[in-house]
Amino acid sequence: MTIEFLWQLPAASDARLADATRYKRGERLPGEPRPYVDEVTDPRGSRFNYFDYLHQIARAAELAGFDGIQVQHDVQGDESWIIAGYLARSTRRLRLLAEFEAARGSAVYAAKNAVSYQRFTGNRFAWQLSSGGTEQERRQQGDFLAEDKLLQRIDEFLITAKGVITQSPFSFKGEFFEVLDGGFQGPLANNAVPRIYLSGNTPTAYELSARQADVHLFDGAAVVDAQKALAELQILLQQQNRNLSAGIRLDVLARETEEEAVFDARRFWQQSGFGKGGDEQPLAPNLWSLPVAYSGARASLIGSYEQVAQRLIEYIEAGFSSFLLAASPHLEEAYRIGEYVLPLIHKHLAEHPSLAA
Amino acid sequence: MSIDFFWRIPTHGEPSSHRSRTPYRGDWLQGQDHIRNPGLGGGGRDGYTYIDYIAEVAHAAEISGFHGGLLPSFPMTDEPWAISSFLARETKTFRFMIAFQPGFLNPVTAARMTASLQRATGGRALFNVITGGGGPVQLWWGDSFSHDDRYARTTEFLDVLRGVWQGKPFNYQGRFYQVEDAALPFPLNEEAFPEIYFSGSSDAALISASKHADYYLSWLEPLSQLRDKFERVKARTDQLGRKIKCAVRVDIVARATEEEAWREVRRGFENLDAQQLERYKQQQARIGDSVGGQRQSTFRPKTISDYRDLIIEPNIWSGFNLLRGGQGQGIVGSYEQVAQRLDDLVALGADAFILASTSHLEEAYRVGEEVLPLVRGRQKLHAETPGLLSAVR
Repeated sequence: MTIEFLWQLPAASDARLADATRYKRGERLPGEPRPYVDEVTDPRGSRFNYFDYLHQIARAAELAGFDGIQVQHDVQGDESWIIAGYLARSTRRLRLLAEFEAARGSAVYAAKNAVSYQRFTGNRFAWQLSSGGTEQERRQQGDFLAEDKLLQRIDEFLITAKGVITQSPFSFKGEFFEVLDGGFQGPLANNAVPRIYLSGNTPTAYELSARQADVHLFDGAAVVDAQKALAELQILLQQQNRNLSAGIRLDVLARETEEEAVFDARRFWQQSGFGKGGDEQPLAPNLWSLPVAYSGARASLIGSYEQVAQRLIEYIEAGFSSFLLAASPHLEEAYRIGEYVLPLIHKHLAEHPSLAA
Repeated sequence: MSIDFFWRIPTHGEPSSHRSRTPYRGDWLQGQDHIRNPGLGGGGRDGYTYIDYIAEVAHAAEISGFHGGLLPSFPMTDEPWAISSFLARETKTFRFMIAFQPGFLNPVTAARMTASLQRATGGRALFNVITGGGGPVQLWWGDSFSHDDRYARTTEFLDVLRGVWQGKPFNYQGRFYQVEDAALPFPLNEEAFPEIYFSGSSDAALISASKHADYYLSWLEPLSQLRDKFERVKARTDQLGRKIKCAVRVDIVARATEEEAWREVRRGFENLDAQQLERYKQQQARIGDSVGGQRQSTFRPKTISDYRDLIIEPNIWSGFNLLRGGQGQGIVGSYEQVAQRLDDLVALGADAFILASTSHLEEAYRVGEEVLPLVRGRQKLHAETPGLLSAVR
């Protein structure tokens, strides 16, 4: 199995400290005071904004040896497809994984746009379909669908999109999407379907992944628990006679020593309000149930470079092959993880070729 | 009052001139799977794709003085949203006019996409709102709504887009869209709302355009009809207490002399094979429910044996859709004549143009260098000193 490491791009905000939600690096927000006293000149004017910073993170991820970037779906931030397109021509080999909801519009239109992304990037575009926020949040997005229909809509979205990308003529009529004699011609035909990433920890979510996903992204959990969840999905896969890659979503906070890492994590929790007051304990060695970035992750690996690498190797040994990682600030941490953690894992994989076979 | 010139981006390949329909540029020509000639540099893939040629045309347009370009969307094209985001970082002034059918996107998502694109480009995104031609193609897109419902949906889409753009909780209960406390987040809501060029010739289209459009965009039609159309939409918009501008989408062939310009058209016509001409004559039957398409086809003569049969007014040729897809009528003539025709259109109410000529790369330079400098706009220089400009050139 090929191992991939994806770095997450924060769509709404990023900064050095845990009050990152208030800042968009590279951009002085309207109403935000000048950062310097009057005598100190500021040459930037309004030449840059957050897109220039996102561009730096993407380049950092590529230079530091990640295999792809995931563009987070965050309704408080910039839109993931636009960000992915904006970064496409400045990156050479990164997989561009855009997270979005099936509520975004027509599945045929999404498929047709995806074909252009694939044509222009040499098939580096990938889709992560998520179910969105709470019912109230979804209504703010013009989406009034009942909770128990969300996965069915993702299913129909993928049936329709995959159908028109791979077949012509293709017809389908579902509850949410339809198409009659669809499918693409000429150079728009025969393009690769974007690699499909799905998530969720219910039996229905596993069933959907077993049918439709190339990667199922599990929430961060201790190896033994993650393995249990994967085993459940594998039963369904065997019934379908299908295979997919197992992925896991983790924040990472790695420092030269474990002590420094835990110190920085506690500072983040204190500043962000994630922690309870300094008495948090790990779930498992180096695994904490608190995030260390605004990434949506349910757990973080915190420790020395060697420890974090070793824990990630344990997930690989347990059958996981896709890692969606994040740490704040995302630029500096992309270099740090790429320089100190990923090489230890690649070295281990080279010495144990059966793991990455 | 200003006059803005836009160019058109070829989103489905490109012949090297009007003389040929063969799309040498891009991968629409069978057997040519990328831009470079097979065999060059060892013959392998070189990593370039059609977006690299589109980038060339966009740069040519911005260097030559155009505000930007229309990015058309049809079943056989690459998609404007993709192209715009891909080229955001490497263009300076080029404005991306995104053609799209509002029904294909959730309006709240579309608002966030648009504001993000404004942020990525420094405010260079605008829309060409189209509402679809109906018939089998509409079902191909996965859209089964009727003609008038599609326009009603377009209106509602733009209602919601404007509503959420204010950045304050917005509620809407429409036939097609509902939102509850929706708002574009800060600082996305600080961006300028995109200018809207609106296409559509039916009454339903005029109603929707008068409510939301900044520019009412029409294909070239015989001038008297175009004047009527512009006056109708302006009258309707006045009733709503709004102002609307008008724009014309027109193909052109401009050369130093009129003779050379017609030679391009003649060669293009003569290079058509008989089947293409036969198909063209019978096209009338399959236009879907597009009123604009029907209007174009009524200007078509019954017998066509020579390119001259398609000349319907001085310097207006109605066979452009024989040479490539899209609209039929366009302007053919010397640089002075083409500029004069554009001035005629200004005189009857046009405030903006989307011009196109094949190949879009070389012709962007030619039109920018030779034609745009001759356009007098509302200065009426032509009327006062006829022939002066042609005499000094």
